[in-house]
Amino acid sequence: MLKILTCFKWVVDEADIRIDAGSRRLILDRVSYKISPYDRNGVEEAMHLQELHGAAVAAVTVAPPTAKSCLKDVLSRGPDKAYFINDPSFTDLEPSQTSAVIAAAIHGDIEFDLIICGEGSSDLYTQQVGPVLAEKLGIPCATYVNKLTYIENENRIVAERKLDDGIEAVSIPLPALITVLPDINTPRIPSLKQVLGAAKKPVENITLDKLGQSFHPCLQTIGVLGATMERRHLMFGAQPEEIGSLISALLKDGVIA
Amino acid sequence: MDFEMTEEQELVKANIKEFCEKYVEPIADQVDQEARFPAENIKRLAEQDMLGIPYPEEYGGAGSDYLTYIITIEELSRACAATGFIVEANTSLACNPIYKYGSDAQKKKYLAPLCKGDILGAFALDERGVGDDAAVTAISDGNEYVLNGVKTFVWNAANAGLFIVFARIDKSSGTGGVSAFIVPAGLPGIEVGKDVKKMGLRGVPSSEILLKDCRIPKDNLLGQEGQGPAIAGTALDASRIGIAALALGIAQSALDESIRYSKERVQFGQPICNFQAIQWMLANMATEIEVSRYLAYYAAWCYDQDMPHSKEAAMAKLMASETAVRYSDSAVQIHGGMGTIKGQKVERLYRDAKITQIHGGTSVFTKMVIADNVPGW
Repeated sequence: MLKILTCFKWVVDEADIRIDAGSRRLILDRVSYKISPYDRNGVEEAMHLQELHGAAVAAVTVAPPTAKSCLKDVLSRGPDKAYFINDPSFTDLEPSQTSAVIAAAIHGDIEFDLIICGEGSSDLYTQQVGPVLAEKLGIPCATYVNKLTYIENENRIVAERKLDDGIEAVSIPLPALITVLPDINTPRIPSLKQVLGAAKKPVENITLDKLGQSFHPCLQTIGVLGATMERRHLMFGAQPEEIGSLISALLKDGVIA
Repeated sequence: MDFEMTEEQELVKANIKEFCEKYVEPIADQVDQEARFPAENIKRLAEQDMLGIPYPEEYGGAGSDYLTYIITIEELSRACAATGFIVEANTSLACNPIYKYGSDAQKKKYLAPLCKGDILGAFALDERGVGDDAAVTAISDGNEYVLNGVKTFVWNAANAGLFIVFARIDKSSGTGGVSAFIVPAGLPGIEVGKDVKKMGLRGVPSSEILLKDCRIPKDNLLGQEGQGPAIAGTALDASRIGIAALALGIAQSALDESIRYSKERVQFGQPICNFQAIQWMLANMATEIEVSRYLAYYAAWCYDQDMPHSKEAAMAKLMASETAVRYSDSAVQIHGGMGTIKGQKVERLYRDAKITQIHGGTSVFTKMVIADNVPGW
């Protein structure tokens, strides 16, 4: 039976973020959290494969222990079980750390044929975890997938990748990893019984000491400020003599150098 | 005291909100303007296990609790009060009597299809001219009861597959003989009258049902003969909490729309949300909505704990419906002339709010219930 791991991230709901007008500091004290929307597409694709081919689906996430309400959320969307790789230090992780943690948890312990990730997370959107995880596991990877077919008797997938200049179809033997685009499917809204059933599904806790390594960041975040848009109310025409004043204004604002 | 919702309740609230954005909001205006029953969304809600939320799975329900159900009605009503009320009438008015007073056989036969949404239920209590009493009769004849009379204001009669009818088993006066009956729709002798044209909740048809020598098996008596007033009272207590949630959803939507509009509308050189007059209106709205919310949730909690809840339900309905009427009015005011134009959500909220002060026990009636139950009385 096909074994699928579907990775998801528990992110701040950006609609709840407020920005302090003076300091541009982010005010996060009343934010709620959600599964990153792109990861919902990943979970849905895993469930689609389960319905078609009878796969076993497990959800995987890396988070601090305080994020445990993410588990019922993801389990209500279909997966049979969840791996909760958690430690209090697992906040604001970089993609290099996240992929190293997941790889460490999987290595030798968790069997899989296919790993599905969202194309990126809705907070950092670096789009790195999928490809880096595939590298660490030594498996092929296809990104920007908007159509997936599993060829059952040949143990391979055909993934259509939506690129800037067209669609590229690739055939990949399993085990493999794909990252999916939002247009691959429409995530279902769980029914009430599916929400209530989530509590009965198994969760495996994987803690830092079980992983037996430390995961150091390679970047240092100096600050996070809210972006503001100030209207300058400057008007420019397209006449040759006005182009000069447009360029001066852009130089002055540091938009171009 | 734990004031937090459970993880499941948070998820259900988020899911219903998403459902409403996707399916309910886009047709809400059309449902109102055309007085169209939103059949496609009721079917989807049935698929989401939303038509029998607080009833056990063995009877087709979702096996959840009353508070989860109230949270659902609130969110549905925030998007479309008519849709919220269709679900509420089915769950609290039709299912509740069968769940609380029905035999196991009756529950399996009638409660299950209601909870699963295979059929919708309607509550036939009101009559012309008699208030709470019944002039409709159900006279015993061998193995059957024969029903005669007219019931008014039967919400969703046109789409009902089943009616809970309150009728008198003997013609002498007093409420002593009033009993409750399960009456499947479509039987010979039932005629559903024309829908009345209404101010609000226009997506839910409301009409009379005419009973003329309508025969039902004796097995369709709910509870005992003469238990009608108790059954009606239980159902109405439960439904009052549902209507509180309905009114709460309308009030919350009035606040949402007012905040959104006051941030966009610029007059006298700034968005009107900068003016203290508007801010004070919004502050009052937000505060009284919060009060209504906690009263409704508390009443639902009392129901779930099997504690007496007549007073709490009456208070919740009184508070929420007054809040909905008062602040849907404020919302129109904040919108100015725009608020009176068809197609603007606040215009519909203003019309939808009023009935919540009336159906399921008028505001005056709820005050009687509260006064009867205030400690020391």
